[in-house]
Formats: sequence, C-alpha cells, structure tokens
Amino acid sequence: MGAGATGLSFAWRLAKQRPDLKILVLERGGHIDQRQGPSLSDDWELALQREFHANPNIRRNSADYPVDETATPIKPAFFNAVGGSTIRWGAHFPRFRPSDFKVHSLDGVAADWPVSYKTLVPYMDINDSIMGVSGLAGDPGNPPRAERPHPPLGSCAGSLRLAKAANRLGWHWWPADAAINSTDAEPGRDGCNNCGPCGMGCPRHARASADIAYLARAQEAGVTLSTHNVVRKIITKGGAATGVETINSDGRTEEISCKELVLAGNAISTNILLTTMSNWENPLLGKGLMLHPTAIVTGFFAEDLKSYSGPFATSIISQEFYETDPKRKFLRGFQLQALRGQGPLSTALGGYGQRLNWGGGHASAFANAFGKSMSLTVTCEDLPEPENRIEVDTTRQDQFGMPIAKMCYRLGANTRQIRDYGVERASEWLRTAGAERLTVTPLSVQAGFHIMGTATMGSEARSSVTGHDGRVHGIDNLTVIDASVFVTASPVNPTSTLQALALRAADLMGRRLAQT
Amino acid sequence: MPDETIIAVLDCLIPGDATGWPAAGQHGLVPRLHELLELLSADGPAQLQTVLSHLPEDFLTLPTDQQTISLQTVESTAPDAFDTVLKACYSAYYTDPGIRRIIEQKTGYEARPPQPLGYEMEPFDESLLEPVRARGPIWRKVP
Repeated sequence: MGAGATGLSFAWRLAKQRPDLKILVLERGGHIDQRQGPSLSDDWELALQREFHANPNIRRNSADYPVDETATPIKPAFFNAVGGSTIRWGAHFPRFRPSDFKVHSLDGVAADWPVSYKTLVPYMDINDSIMGVSGLAGDPGNPPRAERPHPPLGSCAGSLRLAKAANRLGWHWWPADAAINSTDAEPGRDGCNNCGPCGMGCPRHARASADIAYLARAQEAGVTLSTHNVVRKIITKGGAATGVETINSDGRTEEISCKELVLAGNAISTNILLTTMSNWENPLLGKGLMLHPTAIVTGFFAEDLKSYSGPFATSIISQEFYETDPKRKFLRGFQLQALRGQGPLSTALGGYGQRLNWGGGHASAFANAFGKSMSLTVTCEDLPEPENRIEVDTTRQDQFGMPIAKMCYRLGANTRQIRDYGVERASEWLRTAGAERLTVTPLSVQAGFHIMGTATMGSEARSSVTGHDGRVHGIDNLTVIDASVFVTASPVNPTSTLQALALRAADLMGRRLAQT
Repeated sequence: MPDETIIAVLDCLIPGDATGWPAAGQHGLVPRLHELLELLSADGPAQLQTVLSHLPEDFLTLPTDQQTISLQTVESTAPDAFDTVLKACYSAYYTDPGIRRIIEQKTGYEARPPQPLGYEMEPFDESLLEPVRARGPIWRKVP
C-alpha cells in the first residue's frame, strides 16, 4: 500500500528477487506528469499555494485526506500520488550516521535500532545508483563511502560565502548530497539546470522521485500498479492479514486478498490502517512521534547573490553540531542546511520563513531581500517522547470512510535547547558570511515533512510495534516499511535511510517466503 | 463594496514607492485579486468581504496613514480573513507580467518561468574543502 519512496523501491527489489510472486501496489493518488510541471508556467509560484502545497489540509487534492492538526505547532506535510512525498521534496539526501542507530548505548536515551548502519550501507549504495545522487566522497563528517553516481551540483555566490565563512570558523561543511542528477549521464534523465523550485516536480527528471527512479524498473520486473485505489481496511483472520478493503475513484469497494501485506504510506496512514484491524492492538502504537523541528535563520546580504538560482535545498550543509557534546546542555544535535532564495512571490510570502511586511517600506523590503538572501535551517534531532503521538479517532470519518488521525505534538525540553543553540550558531555562520541583517523563524510551521516513529521497530515485542524487518508483532504477514518504524530521528532527512530499510525488508521477505 | 475601496486596500498593502514600484491597486490588480481569491482559498471571496466589512465607512476619504491604521486593526481583529486577502494581494502583484518586467529591469531576474532554461552556476570548487579534509573525521564511532 503506497507507491512512494518505500513502496516502489520495495516492490522493485522483491520482484527482482522473486519473479514468481504477484506483486500489486495500491496507490490512493494518481500519476503526476512532471514533464509538464508548473515550473514551466508563468504562474509557477501559485502552484506552491495550491496543488503543490505541502500540507494536505490546505492542498486538498482529490486523493488527500484530512489530518487533525489542532494539537501540533508543526503541520503535516506529505503528498499523495505515485511517487509519494518525493514528488514534493527538495531531494536533500544525507545518510544517517552510525551513532543514530545506537542512541541508547551512546547517550542513555531513546533506544537502539535493531538494525545497524553497517547493515544498511549496501542498500544505501544500491538506492543511490537508482535514485541518482550527486555529491562528493571523502566527507569527514560521515564514514567513508563510495563515489556518488554524479559529481556535486554547482555553487552559487551565497553558498560560496557560507563555505568560506565556515572555513574561517573552523567548522565542518560539505556539499549537500542530493537525489538530483548533476549530469546527463543517465538515459532518460537530463542533468539539473539549476532552475530552483525542486519541490513541484522536475520537468527534466533530473531531480529524483520514486516514480521516476523506480516505477518503470518495478513494472519491468513484473509489479502491477493500481492508482486511485484507497486502502481503507485491513482484513484479518486468525492472526494473519488476509487482504484489504479498498475504494476506488468511482466509489466502488472491493476486497483484495493477499498472502503478504506491506504498508508503505506514512506514519499517519499506517496508524489509521493498523487501527482498522480487528483483534489486534499494541499500546505502543502511535507513541513516540518524532518530527524534525526546524528553525530558519535568514541572512540578507548587500550583494546580489542571485540566490533564486540553483536547487533550493541542496547547497551546502554543516554537521559540526551533529553528535552529542558533553559541553552542551543537550543530548544529540542538529544539522545546518543552507537554503537558497526563492522566486519573487515566495520571497514576499516568506516561504518557510517570514513574510515581508505589508504597507510602507514593502517595496524596499522586497528589493533588499529578493536574490540577496540565504537561509540556514536548524534541523533538530527529536527524541521519541510518549506524549508526542498520533491518535486515531474512530468516531470521525473522512470522505473515504476512514478514521481521522490527530497529530499530538509539542517540542520537548531537549529539542528546544537544541533549537535555541542552533539558532545562535546559524546566526554566527551567516554573520561571518557577511549578512547585514538576520531574521529568525524559531519554528517552521508548514514543515512536518519527516513523520517518524509511532510503529517503532525493536528486538522485543513488549517494547516495540514491529520487528527488525518491519513485520508487525502478532501479525506475521503484515510488514510496515514507512518511517513509522524509525527508532530515532537523527537530525538529517530520512529518505536515504528509509529506502535502504525498504530494500532490506524486501530481501528479508523474499528469503522468508522462499523457505515457506 | 465598490472597487475603489478594494483599490485603496491594495494600495495600502503594497503602496509602491518612488523608485518605480507601482502601488498594487493603481496597477489594476483588482480583477486578478478576485480571480486568485477564488483560486487559492475555498472561502476567499467571503474573506475579502469580511475584511471590507471591518473597515470604517469613511475609509476611502481617510489619509493613507489612517487607512493603514484601519487595516492594522482588521489584521488583529480578523486575522484569518486579512491573511487570505494579503496572500492573494501578494500573489496578484508578484505574478503580474508588468511587475515581473519591473523586477527584471531592476534585478536582472528574467520575466520567465524557471524552466525550461534554468540558470547557470559555477562548478563546485573542491579546493575550498581543504581545511575540512585536513581536520579529519568528526563522526562518532560506535561499538
């Protein structure tokens, strides 16, 4: 269920391993023709407020379902279509570090993963080759790894300023890993031409998304895709999932039987669907919701940086403050990620940061901001706290007859300390780079992109919802491969790690089925 | 409510200045505002009416600074409606072809969509990373 980052990669891998299996991918959304994407249109910036808005409650495309966001300061952000949220992403593609999988052993909080970094590396390498990744080997911030399929993306004046400033500060920095082809080397995909707004699809197919990278491969391997097909109930019998009830775009319901069921949506849809199962419950389901709370510090420079050019989210990063440092008041850490400027309308509306003031002075504020700003995100590692959770309200139903999920979230004390310290460091970096003025957005609201935890994997059934392979405790033929299985959050974007877990889960399932 | 009031509201929101930026209302954006209120928000037209209904009856005859104060009051008393109208106003202004030509004249940012032409960027200069490499690994090893 779900034709996004994990669903399509999993289906491809399993089909390659086990061509004898019949694999059906059910996707509630339809295809997005990125070749005709809005970045080709004069009104391209309006799309970010409508059909490409990150928040499904605002976007309200036909496949979207409502999420109760009244109890969270960070609003949900995901996309329902073939390709999933990779349709809407900036394609920043870092890997979790080894320490992210051993948080309890190293820092005495949260839990260790039942999977190690080393186990996932071969799958990350496979995934890099299929998604298409640009970057540079040799980063001292991460373990040694293979050359990326493509060299790093280009540099703009703003990223050069930040790079030189980081050197003056003696801080780590590195060109961001990006799931964006920087060259024309891959047939069918052009190299990036630095247009900027990756988050609305890429007409050149330079920026990867799951549909571009995996769909054709999966279908060639025998996978069948059914679109506009909403799974609204898991049918169980005798401790096994026997099928699903779906509803299609005509409103027709259907039961589809299966031997194995894989949930590959997101933590919200997984929580909803697991709640529909009769005779199964786990008190830990829904608990330990983790987001990536993000502050944004924007620096305004006297120089015209033309910062609207270049992929907006994949310039350079600093992982200087990634690991726990006993000299600081908090555990774990954060990543600083440079964001480029945006188009004229997004500059005025503030993007993920602050809107320009209306009234007198608006014109000069625009003139001083447009093309002259660079931002730094302070992406904080969240700890899994039981108060942060997804609740499923079975008394309310959406247009598909599904229960409605509620995100219940507040920033924990450790996260707030990370954020505050990170804002100071981001400000220091931008000032060193020559920014004349700063604005601080303490918490980016429309930025709940990374919805992690709530069906956490673990070695023991009493302390987790799923096993190391994503299989749900108590339902042996039901597997979860979305980010709800994450044990900890790291301070970096999850998709590389997420897809590696999915590829591994496919291998494990293939082997298990061969033995039965 | 006549268009004159909406023009005055837009002129307050984006007044323009003497350097060549036109005021939003005087630039003729009222029809585009209506279009975008429909397009961007399920209740956009109603939100505009809410904003207008909160204005004093003599809004049109007030001096600019008093009109601005009136709108600041609306912003605090009807924030959702004001926010919807402001977003539509900015959207109308910064997607308008005439405004985009002005932006091009002033900044060099071409009045065209990002694709298919994209933008040129310098290749990444690896020599900048010498101090980072020289420092050695900083990631935390695990048992």
